[in-house]
Amino acid sequence: MPARLCVAAALCAAVVLPPAAAAPRAATVKVAFLQGEQVVYVDRPGSTVAAAVRGLLAGPTGTEKTQGIKSQLPAGTPLRGVSVRRGVATIDVGIKFASGSRAESLTARVAQLVLTATRVPNVRSVRLLVKGGTPLGLFPGILASFPLTAKSVTAPPRMPPPAPAPQQPKPPSAATRALQQRLADLGYMQADEVDGRPGPRTTSAVVAFQKWSGLTRDGVAGPATRAALSSATRPTPTRPGSGRRVEVLLDRQLTLVIDGARVTRILDVSSGKPGYDTPVGSWKVFRKEVRSWSVPYKVWLPWASYFVGGVAFHEYPDVPPSPASHGCVRVPRWDAQWLYTQTPVGTPVTVIASSR
Amino acid sequence: MRMLAAAVAIAALALPAGAATPPTKTPGALTVALEMPSAGFQVGVVRGRTVILARGLEVDLAAQVAKRLGLRVRFVNEPAFSKLVTAGPKDWDLAIAQISVTPERARRVDFSTPYLEADQGVLVRVGVKPVPRSIAALRKLVVCAQRGTTGEAIVTNRINPTRKPLFPADLSVLLYDLFAKRCDAVVFDAPTLAVLRREAPDRYGPLVGRIPTRERYAIAFEKGSPLRTRVNAALRAIARDGTLARLRQRWLGADTARLPVLR
Repeated sequence: MPARLCVAAALCAAVVLPPAAAAPRAATVKVAFLQGEQVVYVDRPGSTVAAAVRGLLAGPTGTEKTQGIKSQLPAGTPLRGVSVRRGVATIDVGIKFASGSRAESLTARVAQLVLTATRVPNVRSVRLLVKGGTPLGLFPGILASFPLTAKSVTAPPRMPPPAPAPQQPKPPSAATRALQQRLADLGYMQADEVDGRPGPRTTSAVVAFQKWSGLTRDGVAGPATRAALSSATRPTPTRPGSGRRVEVLLDRQLTLVIDGARVTRILDVSSGKPGYDTPVGSWKVFRKEVRSWSVPYKVWLPWASYFVGGVAFHEYPDVPPSPASHGCVRVPRWDAQWLYTQTPVGTPVTVIASSR
Repeated sequence: MRMLAAAVAIAALALPAGAATPPTKTPGALTVALEMPSAGFQVGVVRGRTVILARGLEVDLAAQVAKRLGLRVRFVNEPAFSKLVTAGPKDWDLAIAQISVTPERARRVDFSTPYLEADQGVLVRVGVKPVPRSIAALRKLVVCAQRGTTGEAIVTNRINPTRKPLFPADLSVLLYDLFAKRCDAVVFDAPTLAVLRREAPDRYGPLVGRIPTRERYAIAFEKGSPLRTRVNAALRAIARDGTLARLRQRWLGADTARLPVLR
């Protein structure tokens, strides 16, 4: 467990571990990096805004990177000047700070800069200058003509989180019902979801079975999949353990919910894409939010269960068959609430790179 | 000093034979008015009206025009769009800022030939199958638009979908509905949709086509500007040699002028 690592400014007080001893410590500043879908703070030596911003521009250490901690600031971004006056830190960065075209990266780096500077005592806001001037439109959705406060980069928009999409159920068939029943018997669906109607829920269960069995992940119950289904048995835990626990199998892109020696459910999930790898290790669910807001990437994360830093299980509209997230574990709409209720705070979560 | 002299000499050499230096507000320079920001078209850094840095489709296009007139380019930022299209003398040579040609504006300023047809575009969500290729195919989907826009009128009058459309008041809500799969497709200005998709390619499906509305963007000049014919000639050359299509592709992520028309 990384010491003094905490999630989202407001919650830090609760998560920061107390110093082990009362020995005098060197002055440190908090630097805002990213882990999964959230901002995490790490300590760097120094006490000024300039020290904090330099620490930010230097990026995470090698050890921090192995824990999935990263930065969206382009490597080698020059710092042209820092001054603080009446609680406003004026930070002048080189044009490299605005490089790239991805909105999520551009807005995340502004959030990192503002959250880093405003954690320094007596700094309330940041006037961001690029090459000595006011940036106009370089950071999508961020109005940088005025000083930016921590709240301006962390607050969710006044927009409701997504509700379930309207459904147009297809007519039921006996063949689909039989397929669903088999998938439910093996743990890929809930028994009460067997309704005979084809749709994305059934496709996702077929994909989960294909992932476990090493078949092509196309969601179609073709001859190979049907043959494998007829002889399949319920998956078993890949690591020994006891009680309620969760395994995330990165190679198979599956999450197993386990009770004792029995796998209760196998969920079709998508973990961190290359460069955003979900950190391998043994973790525990430590924070749950029915509606979580991703501060850096500006997106709602319903049914979020955080298990390390800003890395969580959460609902997401798009769960492709391969790794696609910022490090979190995306769960489809139909399984997200169920998984949330099954994983109270303290539930062990093991992230496994190779499960075969 | 020497470098400056060399630059002037090169600029002079670049001039087409027989063409005098075009009459500009600052001799040797084309002063271009922008109204930043507009994602994909013009974003940058300013100090007051001074543009320190600018990039985007219209920035590159203005630079290309200047190059072909044998001029260097400098940009100024007008904080108010209305100033670009009011009557009277200007301290810049031309303005480029997604200015739609309208008869009313054409009484106050002169316009170049258009450089972009800003039709309505149709952007679909991730995973729509089959991808709609016609108005008839769109009719069966949940098609959404921002309330009070051209897009809403097209959804209601042209597409007339069989499933209830959503018309949120806010563009960001509209895009969130598409991302969250509450909408299958949205209708909005094609260039804007193209830019949004370029900025967040994971969030949306493809831009499947356009519905022509004949809205056109052109460069504005003060009335009677002697530059207009020269700029039009440069724009023709920029379109003919493929530069314009390349710029649209680069900055919009798709050449919106070449999207298939949905019928």
